[in-house]
Amino acid sequence: MNVSIQPALKSLRTAALIALFALIGICFGYFFNFLVTDNPQVSAPEQPIAFSHKIHAGDNEIPCQYCHTEARRSPSAGVPSVSKCMGCHTEVATESPLIRQVTEYWENKEPIPWIKVHDLPDFVHFTHKRHVQAGVACQTCHGPVETMDRIAVHSRNNDGPTLFASTTGQITNLEASNSGATQNDHWEMGLCLNCHKQHDVVDGKAVRVAEGGFDNGLDCWTCHK
Amino acid sequence: MSFLDRIAEGWRKNRKPGYYENFDYHWTMTIDLDQCSGCGACVTACQAENNLPIVGEKAFAKGREVKWLRMEHYWEGEYPDVKLNIIPMLCQHCDNAPCETVCPVSATYHNQDGLNTQIYNRCIGTRSCAVYCPYEVRYFNYNDHTWDSPLDQQLNPDVSVREKGVMEKCTFCIQRVRQAKDTAKDDGRRRVRDGEVQPACVQTCPSQAMAFGDRNDPESNVSQTLAGPRAYRVLDELNTKSSVVYLKKVETEA
Repeated sequence: MNVSIQPALKSLRTAALIALFALIGICFGYFFNFLVTDNPQVSAPEQPIAFSHKIHAGDNEIPCQYCHTEARRSPSAGVPSVSKCMGCHTEVATESPLIRQVTEYWENKEPIPWIKVHDLPDFVHFTHKRHVQAGVACQTCHGPVETMDRIAVHSRNNDGPTLFASTTGQITNLEASNSGATQNDHWEMGLCLNCHKQHDVVDGKAVRVAEGGFDNGLDCWTCHK
Repeated sequence: MSFLDRIAEGWRKNRKPGYYENFDYHWTMTIDLDQCSGCGACVTACQAENNLPIVGEKAFAKGREVKWLRMEHYWEGEYPDVKLNIIPMLCQHCDNAPCETVCPVSATYHNQDGLNTQIYNRCIGTRSCAVYCPYEVRYFNYNDHTWDSPLDQQLNPDVSVREKGVMEKCTFCIQRVRQAKDTAKDDGRRRVRDGEVQPACVQTCPSQAMAFGDRNDPESNVSQTLAGPRAYRVLDELNTKSSVVYLKKVETEA
């Protein structure tokens, strides 16, 4: 008796076709996902007023915490109020068109609707206070803000070597600060963990250690709660 | 050292007997059942503090309510000779927690303060932990919950709003614990003072039946209560070594 596997194969053909298409779909989906989500996303939204950190923090060397006063005493660094702007700009450059915009907000008693750039997910509860008080430089995480005309952040970047880029597309090198994080890190959990693994707290200041780091800062509940 | 060796070493380190006794704190809650009137203020306080959702009638009927702290009612006897026994039941933060060993992604683990953690963004929702928990105090989010305006304004910003597909449970109000540690650091103190941390339920309890503190500190309020003759742990025979200690109700023979 002649036994053939042909009929069995015939019924399997549909299944094989479906499997083939599924495979193609999965491959396509994988690369599509890579294309969409893993692209370097430089987030640099246009702000309601073209405020330049370069002029303020860079050229005129105003300390970060002159305006972001909450950074050293609260979890959130805070955006300065319009009155803080007006504190100087009732005297300084009052005739500039940008400052006129600020004055307009001030006279209408309205806050300036700044757009948040450095945004953490809702399940992350980061505190500025502890880090600023431990002597961690703002630039460690925020990049060379004093060179940026418009604030930008790389939220995720698997291809390029940089976390921070200025708006001109020029990559600005962050000076190797005492705080351990490098510009190779992404604006995500690794940035926090690497730094925490390399540092210990001695007399309330973050100090670089060879290995170990401080136990307490590596508990998930430090940030996720 | 290879990657696997490092994992094994970390595992052994955390499993060594007495490991958790070396740490600064060992948070413990005591609940005096003699003082507890069963009013349920703690349940409401927990709900408000920790952004617990109101699941609605339909989900409730399916047993999908989320209550990190619940009042368990046990009726004794037949009407009219009935007696009601009440026990507030919350996550017991066991030192030998059955839920921790079964989590495939380490979303729940024991931290250095003797707390049983739950990391929402790591949880993948296998629900194994809920199956293994002998106290039935883990709750799963079967749905996304929304708060209609203006109720969304009362959400606690220090606590994540959990989404569909993650497990959640009592955290001993970890946001308050961390806040107290933060304040201690600001003041230049190494340790949190006894009674400085109060979870929402403890703070609310009108009869002050609940107390919270560090049992590593022999001077603390809870350590002294623990030594008393009325202290017992629920399902102690399972060797969970829980961190919630109940004080037995003193019965008077009628």
